[in-house]
Amino acid sequence: MASEDRADKQTFWDEVVDTHPLTASDQTLLPKVLAQLVVHPGASCVLALRRGQVVGIATRQDIVKAVAQKTKWTKLRLAKIMTCPVVTIHRSELSTVASVTRWFEQHHISHLPVVDEHKRPIGVIVHKQLLLTTSVQSAETLIARQHQRAQLFAEITLKIRQSLQLKDILQTTVDEIQSLLDADRVLIYQILPDSTGKAISEAVKEPYPPIVGIPFPEEVFPEDYQQLYAQGRVQAIADVHAPDSGLAECLVEFINQWDIRSKLIVPIVHLLQPERSSHETSTNRLWGLLIAHQCRSPRQWTEFELELMQQLAGQISLALSQGQMLEYLEERVKLRTVELTQANRALQLEIQERKQIESALRKSEEQIRLITNNLPVLIAYVDAQQRYRFNNQAYKHWLGQAPADLYGTPIKVATGADYYDTIQPHIEAALNGEQVTYESDLTFSDGRCHAVSVSYIPHLDTSPQAESKTNGFFALTTDISDRKAIERMKDEFIAVVSHELRTPLTSLHGSLKLIETGRLGHLSDEGQQMLTVADESTDRLVRLVNNVLDLQRIESGEVTIDACICDAADLVEQAVEAMQAMAQEQSIEIRTQLEPLSIWVDPDYIVQTFTNLIGNAIKFSAPGKTIQIVGRSCTDVALSNLSQSPLANGSTSPPAVALFCVRDHGQGIPPDNLTSIFERFQQVDSSDSRKKGGTGLGLTICRKIIEQHGGTIWAESEMGIGSCFFFTVPLARGQTTP
Amino acid sequence: MTSKLILVIDDEESIQKVVKLSLKLEANWESICASSGREGFSQAQTQQPDAILLDVMMPEIDGIKTFEMLNNNLQTQTIPVILLTAKTGTAEKRLFQKIGATGVITKPFNPLTLASQMARLLGWRL
Repeated sequence: MASEDRADKQTFWDEVVDTHPLTASDQTLLPKVLAQLVVHPGASCVLALRRGQVVGIATRQDIVKAVAQKTKWTKLRLAKIMTCPVVTIHRSELSTVASVTRWFEQHHISHLPVVDEHKRPIGVIVHKQLLLTTSVQSAETLIARQHQRAQLFAEITLKIRQSLQLKDILQTTVDEIQSLLDADRVLIYQILPDSTGKAISEAVKEPYPPIVGIPFPEEVFPEDYQQLYAQGRVQAIADVHAPDSGLAECLVEFINQWDIRSKLIVPIVHLLQPERSSHETSTNRLWGLLIAHQCRSPRQWTEFELELMQQLAGQISLALSQGQMLEYLEERVKLRTVELTQANRALQLEIQERKQIESALRKSEEQIRLITNNLPVLIAYVDAQQRYRFNNQAYKHWLGQAPADLYGTPIKVATGADYYDTIQPHIEAALNGEQVTYESDLTFSDGRCHAVSVSYIPHLDTSPQAESKTNGFFALTTDISDRKAIERMKDEFIAVVSHELRTPLTSLHGSLKLIETGRLGHLSDEGQQMLTVADESTDRLVRLVNNVLDLQRIESGEVTIDACICDAADLVEQAVEAMQAMAQEQSIEIRTQLEPLSIWVDPDYIVQTFTNLIGNAIKFSAPGKTIQIVGRSCTDVALSNLSQSPLANGSTSPPAVALFCVRDHGQGIPPDNLTSIFERFQQVDSSDSRKKGGTGLGLTICRKIIEQHGGTIWAESEMGIGSCFFFTVPLARGQTTP
Repeated sequence: MTSKLILVIDDEESIQKVVKLSLKLEANWESICASSGREGFSQAQTQQPDAILLDVMMPEIDGIKTFEMLNNNLQTQTIPVILLTAKTGTAEKRLFQKIGATGVITKPFNPLTLASQMARLLGWRL
């Protein structure tokens, strides 16, 4: 400490004291003194000595003044103008600038000679110089202090900022302040929303009791005070016991329990962010207090300490905001994490669903491919430009054309121009939205020709922006060679049956008829009865065989209606003639009532139709009754598809048809049976029918024949009154309706 | 009416017998029978019948081919031929007419009206 003082004094001596003052005997003439001053322009005074001791002082100003004012100044001696007595200071009395300054201020002097113990001059202090030096020193001290503060503040701030956790920040703050200020206790007091509070961080010296965690009632820190602190109030109380401390007595007693003698209180203000505050603008809220205590002894808190506390309270405030922001960000992160987790889960589900769909699609595709490739049919998709877009493996197996090679190939190229010409109309129809089925011959890769059935199913474009009707069509080609072979076999079988069954029947039938005439000899009554049974059964068998074969031929499409212009009356006459014998046997009269009609029909089949209907009418009429056959033309718009009729060609008038009716006066047909009787083996009463020798196929054949002519057949009946069978056939060209 | 000679060509003997008897009883016509197209063609040449009743469906040389043979032969081409066949449709009948057959009678025929049917087709009077 002593060495430090010496160093300080030495510094002071070097900076303030002029150790080489001008001296002269007090009896020295002024010219001589003036000459010294000229030689030493920096000297501001001359010390007057007498016997080595300082007895007076003359400043440069004093000397210049005398020279200027005294006419006989050259004769003047220094003693005449010097200030005397002179205030001197002993070297040992030089301590601080302040104490020396006080010397100047007390004695109102401008120069202070420094003397040794013998009063001999060893230097001089110039007041002006002292002031200058003091001023420089003050500025340097201030800068040094500011630097020190900044450094301290930076260090503390760095420590505080090393953590993002508010608790750590607060503890670091109190620890650092306590250490720096050498305070007995530093604490952070948090004010709770209900105005109570508690110390949440504390740094306290031994043996003082800790305050941290102890709740303080509202009275300790009432709302009014909070408002003041919120507005930036700081409070430095050097001694709580001093009358001017401003503290209530009860409060002093309250704080005595913790030995508090002096305190420094700085507010910690929290700037609430708009998104966290109920108001739109930022608002200040007193969050808490940063408090330093000095226990047992009073303490004068310096400006520096106050500022430090304030700045660190600001740091806490900043940390609070950062904490709030952190909390806010953490909350946002948490929310976002939840959202992302949910989104991720949804995405996972979607991915899983997509995978399942893809798997199902793949499976479905595999199945479709498996099916299409294993079906014994050619399956293709052709686009609107008549290019193959899909072919199944059958194309490879049947035609030797790999699906991959066919993809994008025009049909014309794939099939060859000649074959294409035969199918082109079907292709165009399909692309016009029409479903097409046709039969054709196709040469397979083995060189054999196969009969095929081809269906084109249009792929209709239903979109409103569709330029064309279809996108393309699906083509299914089925090998019908086997079916054709079977059909041929069936035809052959029918031909054989037709011949082989009819031939013995013809012989049998003929023989019986000849025997029946009695011209080959007479039989007994029993023999005649048996002959009749054989004859009738043979007749029935012949009819059945004929009907079965007829029906089969019609249904197979083998029969083509070979229409020509016929006179209706002629056909009716043929039928009546054929049935006349049967009618006469039953004592039944057949009447005709016909308009002159030219009809467009196959005469054999229409005669057969009349024959069947007249035969039925005879069978179901009581003896003595009349059968009526009526024929006339009529207009029936509903029967417009008379494709084989000459009328259908280019005629714009309503289609005309010939309407025929075979009416009997039999027992009638129940209403429920009026439609079903046209189905095969559907008789009103089968036992009755057998008695009448019916086969159950006659009306079915009639229906087929009429339908083949583009006509309609139906029955009307009234039980007990009789039945009427109607049918229509096309009129020949030129036949007009009445 | 003078008696006629009818050549019946049918591979079925039972048919031959029924036809023969039927024509004899109903119209008093004589019949000679052949069981194949070849035999019938030969008989037609040698016997020069007034008409031929020719079955269509026969083995080896069927009725149509036999008809062509008869038609192509100077000795037989003027003899009218009636085809005897199982029941046929209009189109088939037209075919038979087209090739020059005088008529078609379908099986099974009525032996009691066979002669009158033939007479109508041949333009004969019974």
